[in-house]
Amino acid sequence: MRYYRTQGLAFLIPILVIVGIFYGMIVWNFVVAFTGWQGLQATWKFVGFYNFSRLFSLQRFWVNIGNNLRWLLFFIAPTVFGGFVLAYLLNNLGRGEKILWQVFLFPMSLSFIITGVLWAWMYDPSSGLINSILRLLGVNTSRLGWIALPQTAVYCMIVAAFWQYLGFALVIYLGAIKGIPYEMVEAAKVDGASHFTVAFRVIFPNVGHATLICTTMLAITTVKVFDLVWVMTRGGPGVSTEVLPYLMYRLTFDSRDIGMGAATSIVILGFSAIMVIPYSLWALKKWVRV
Amino acid sequence: MKEKSFLLFSAVLLVVLSVVWMIPIYALVTTSLKTQEEVALQKYLTLPQRLQFSNFARAFQALKIGLRNSFIITLSATFIAVFVGSLAGYSLTSFNFRFATLLFFLIVVVTFLPYHIVLIPITHILKSLALLNTYAGLILIYTILSAPMATLITGTFFMKIPPELEEAAMLDGCKPFLFYLRILLPVSLPGLVSATILVFIQIYNEFLLGIALTRGPEVKPVMPFLAELKGTQIAQWHIQMAGALITSIIPVAVFIFLGKYFISGLMAGYGKG
Repeated sequence: MRYYRTQGLAFLIPILVIVGIFYGMIVWNFVVAFTGWQGLQATWKFVGFYNFSRLFSLQRFWVNIGNNLRWLLFFIAPTVFGGFVLAYLLNNLGRGEKILWQVFLFPMSLSFIITGVLWAWMYDPSSGLINSILRLLGVNTSRLGWIALPQTAVYCMIVAAFWQYLGFALVIYLGAIKGIPYEMVEAAKVDGASHFTVAFRVIFPNVGHATLICTTMLAITTVKVFDLVWVMTRGGPGVSTEVLPYLMYRLTFDSRDIGMGAATSIVILGFSAIMVIPYSLWALKKWVRV
Repeated sequence: MKEKSFLLFSAVLLVVLSVVWMIPIYALVTTSLKTQEEVALQKYLTLPQRLQFSNFARAFQALKIGLRNSFIITLSATFIAVFVGSLAGYSLTSFNFRFATLLFFLIVVVTFLPYHIVLIPITHILKSLALLNTYAGLILIYTILSAPMATLITGTFFMKIPPELEEAAMLDGCKPFLFYLRILLPVSLPGLVSATILVFIQIYNEFLLGIALTRGPEVKPVMPFLAELKGTQIAQWHIQMAGALITSIIPVAVFIFLGKYFISGLMAGYGKG
């Protein structure tokens, strides 16, 4: 093997180039965020934190931040919790596993665009599925606007994403629960522990890695909901459902304010890096013995 | 007795929930087969009276260029990304390079960072290479964004291959590239399938780059077309649903027939497996 190390190195060239390009783009973006680039031609004029101060003084930016926080809070916690409870019940039930997790997991193979088209129809106030069913049940739906109302729109989207991602949490937890030594759970049951105790006091502390994976991956998903926002509401009503990547897109491609768009990317980068870097350090163990 | 009622409770809960989870899909399929008059009645849970396959013809008409483009782009980029990624995965897991840890770390980070943060440089690079609105440009970008994930997934599978296999092959005079091509890839075929599926679905489902890097319909992938269909066929729910169904056939078929590999790919990419 030693003789072939140069060849082994050659196999790495493409990925080295790709990784290099990726980090190069991050640096480039960083530099652009400090220039006054507007319009089509690059202007490499250093303007310090001007783009950031303009960004932070935008009311719209803070609406976006608020929505990103809503996504973090109301999307991750229920999905992680629901996924864990379902995984516990399914594992405990011991049958029908194969069919049931597939039902929950298959929405994950769909794109946010498909989910968005489907759920935008379901939420349509006048002719959508949800209000039609509610009317059948005799509910007065005239005030239930769902995604048409700024107060509820974000939460409606979160429900759609919950529908799509519950299966992901379920599968990750199911795998983790199966990895726990059987005797440990059995011992707790013999001691007369209730299901609640077994699930939350015995199993949950032992599937910390699954919780870490789910939380991190779902947090990154909250950046990717750009597609869902685009197709369901286009950020509206007003700007009430915008998330940061959406603002970045608008600033860059509609207002052609490249400097400010890049500044927004830096905010997203900071937000993602806080989660991705610790996670990567932890996940690294899987590929190399550190 | 208590245990039995708990089992019954969880069975009922799971079944009810899975029915709820399928309602959107049921409504999608039935609505896509109805006439506009039926749709206007808003009885979404009833079955269509006569199957309206013409809805699909209409939706397909609107989506077909996008489907063609998506096939060309997704298949090429997936092939290149998995090839590049698996070569890197092989090299990183077999040669004990001292910098492998650092490189793996850099790869893991770019795999999980959302690509939205480099959208602006991506657009700029393609513009300066005159590759905006070309197949080559989209294939290039999707390859760059997917190869790191392919490296991680294939690497996980390659690590399970006993090193003796490689040593034996080398003693018989097998060169590394031939070992990779003739022995390693066939032996870890499940890993290769998993990586291919995950990369394929990810690229096929991608939307943002599809709108940012194309102008006009010539090379635009299918997801932007579907989003446009929603914009142009307002309240034509049956056409929209038919379009959503056509677009989802490929990922759903992959999921149904190769679901096992989808899971093991997810596990290899994110999980502990």
